[in-house]
Amino acid sequence: MWKEHYRVGSDLIDTQHQELFKRVSSFIRVVQGDGPWVERLAQVQETLVFMQHYVVIHFADEEKLQAEIGYPELERHRKIHDDFKAEIQAFAQTVEREGFDEEKVQEFSAKVMTWLIMHVGREDQKIGEFLRSQGGHK
Amino acid sequence: MRVEYINPFYQATLDVFRVMLSLEPKRGTLKAVEELVPVSEANVGIGVTGDLRGSLLYSFPKAMALEMVHIMSGMRMTKLDAFVTSALSEVANIISGNALTYLSKNALVCDISPPQAFIGSEGTLSMSTEKAIVLPLITDIGTLEVSISLHGK
Repeated sequence: MWKEHYRVGSDLIDTQHQELFKRVSSFIRVVQGDGPWVERLAQVQETLVFMQHYVVIHFADEEKLQAEIGYPELERHRKIHDDFKAEIQAFAQTVEREGFDEEKVQEFSAKVMTWLIMHVGREDQKIGEFLRSQGGHK
Repeated sequence: MRVEYINPFYQATLDVFRVMLSLEPKRGTLKAVEELVPVSEANVGIGVTGDLRGSLLYSFPKAMALEMVHIMSGMRMTKLDAFVTSALSEVANIISGNALTYLSKNALVCDISPPQAFIGSEGTLSMSTEKAIVLPLITDIGTLEVSISLHGK
């Protein structure tokens, strides 16, 4: 899933993005894999917990970078992050309440995939462009 | 139905397909239709409210839908399941949102309803009795048809 042109030019952020793509990719492999759903469920649950924690860390680091470089769209970007965190949270609450329905998890994983590609492929590239215009990241 | 509402959808599809799929869709010939009719197997309908109201229908051939998901996920899939239709719904949602952002530059403020995916080319999605324009978007992996039925207040 990860593509080299997704790099923004910060080692920390690029490494975190690669980790996110790797996790989402393996999440999809499990969700769309063969075998009984009950046997795949543990991995699904584990990834969801990981995502909930990791996006918080990653978004905080990325917002810190934006603040450091004086990125003018920080507040708008923060709002996009907050909305996505809320979506993950809402999904986690739904499955806690209603159980891990296979179809719901399939829908959610596709949503996360498209969000990640679009966000890193477009929104985050604007940070990269700004970073380069400022002479790069130290 | 005014033809100037069409270009924002072409522009938005071009932007989104470039970022998400590394594809460059080309515009096919526009055609006027009496109602929104799904022409392919995988379809996503979206309602529009606000200064313009109406409906949008994204119609993807099955092979194209599966290839889009392959490009995005790196995984080959064989059926139009909840994962594939959800991914298509998100793509249609993003395109529609971006197109309406372009339209808002012409002082037209609109909102969209959550996308509704459906499989098969039976029936119509008639939310209005007004005509629609079909915008074919030709890519290397197939042709997506976006039917647009938008009307001012």
